[in-house]
Amino acid sequence: MGSEEIGQRDSISRIMGSSDSMSENVAGMSESFLVDHFHGSCWDPMISDNLGNSSIIPQNEFVNPHYLVGNSSHLAHYTSDLGLVLDMVPKIPSFGSGSFSEMANSSFGQINESGCHSNLEDGLFGASLNGKRKRKVSPSVGGSCNKNVEEEKLKNQKTGNTCEFPKEDEKKNTGTKQGVKQAKDGSNGAEPSKEDYILVRAKRGQATNSHSLAERVRRERISERMRLLQELVPGCNKITGKAVMLDEIINYVQSLQQQVEFLSMKLATVNPELNVDIDRILSKDLLHTRGGNATELGVGPGFSPSHAFPGLLNGYAGPPPPFHPLPPNLWNSDLQSILQMGFDPSPTGTGLGANGLSKTEP
Amino acid sequence: MTDHKNHQIPTAKPSSIKTRFAIKFLRAMNKLNNKNKNNKNTMSEKHKRFLAIRAAAHASMASAVGPRRAWSRAVLRKIPNQQKQLHYSLMNKQRTRRRNIRRNRILLITRGNPNRENYDHEENEDEDEEEEDLRELVPGGKEMDFCRLLNETAHYIKCLRTQVQVMTNILHHSSPSNILYK
Repeated sequence: MGSEEIGQRDSISRIMGSSDSMSENVAGMSESFLVDHFHGSCWDPMISDNLGNSSIIPQNEFVNPHYLVGNSSHLAHYTSDLGLVLDMVPKIPSFGSGSFSEMANSSFGQINESGCHSNLEDGLFGASLNGKRKRKVSPSVGGSCNKNVEEEKLKNQKTGNTCEFPKEDEKKNTGTKQGVKQAKDGSNGAEPSKEDYILVRAKRGQATNSHSLAERVRRERISERMRLLQELVPGCNKITGKAVMLDEIINYVQSLQQQVEFLSMKLATVNPELNVDIDRILSKDLLHTRGGNATELGVGPGFSPSHAFPGLLNGYAGPPPPFHPLPPNLWNSDLQSILQMGFDPSPTGTGLGANGLSKTEP
Repeated sequence: MTDHKNHQIPTAKPSSIKTRFAIKFLRAMNKLNNKNKNNKNTMSEKHKRFLAIRAAAHASMASAVGPRRAWSRAVLRKIPNQQKQLHYSLMNKQRTRRRNIRRNRILLITRGNPNRENYDHEENEDEDEEEEDLRELVPGGKEMDFCRLLNETAHYIKCLRTQVQVMTNILHHSSPSNILYK
């Protein structure tokens, strides 16, 4: 596979070099490795093995199914567009798969009919293609021309068997290059007789560009928010991957909710003694800061929930010394100290960290 | 959103969510305690109080957050307190209407594609399951698109954390001898 990849890359570079003699170059590509590549390879290993030339790989993928169909005329048009598109390859995010996808659409139509794995093409073109068509074929593939190659890799690793790409790539690719679309339309115009639905596809491709743009924006927003959530949830810095991250988030939210329940239960049992304090607390000045109390409690704000939970569960089996001076202060403290005490009541608890969270799991 | 309320600075702003929640929750607790002054301290009484306190915690948290967040609105809707509901609904009628129109447009544009695509793919199916779980966890999460759900989840996590902190502290304040030293 690696050698095939390299061979493909060479062929692609040749294609990139000369837009005129596209057909020759593409035709020059050995049928065998294209077919093998198309059939045998999952997107995943290719990308992960890829040295980072993700921009080139999609080209290969584009070409492969096309070649498989064996439609040389398509190939000619395809390669001409391929050249236009490949010119933009260096700028991976701005990869103009818009026009590219149009060409690929035609070939894909055939491929889809033949039942080949059009996953790759679908993934590459993404929303640039007729969105519905792509969905039918295989939603598993995504554009490889992704800004975040790592993200791709992550997603690929997650999938394991199928080639999947975030729709972002496709969206980015499609929405950018308007000029290429014109050429695509021209070439599409030459083919209407052969495939009726190609024309339809072209039109739909244009229509879905706004969709694809929105999709891309949406994907970017989702990834951005996943990153924010990653910062919120403790111990998720090293986790990469949407599914695993979602898992962690769900566990964390569940554990927090359980903590709230547990605390409310405890408060219910302890409650009767609370009356006097509450009145005093509420009446006091809220802005008054109690630095002493805060420092006694130690540091580690993010860990307090997880610490409090096992601590309360165990009844503070090993109560640290700072707890002892606290009780007399507590009765005289004001609301501010209550708020400040939220930070890690146990200095030894900082060691729990992410582990603390896991310990709270039922 | 900044995490300073929860993480770095030990001083809470007077108008932060933390203080608002703490005040409301303490007031609710006070009310509960005053109501049950002659508590028999039986298990059923304790259970009732537990339920009441839990409801008070959720309600005070949601009201401290206000109607700005979808999850807090969802929680507030569940409260059988007509006054609060009316108040918040009046406050945010126009804002939510405009927001909903915008959101519906986005939903129409974006929702169809990814969901359908997801169902066909294994990995995305897993994600969809988790997405469904998350929607169940976060109040009001069933009607949001995924992007917004993540937003709400982030805010919800922050607020849950403050809730746990404040309640822990209240617990420490109330009876350290009972809780801390078993």
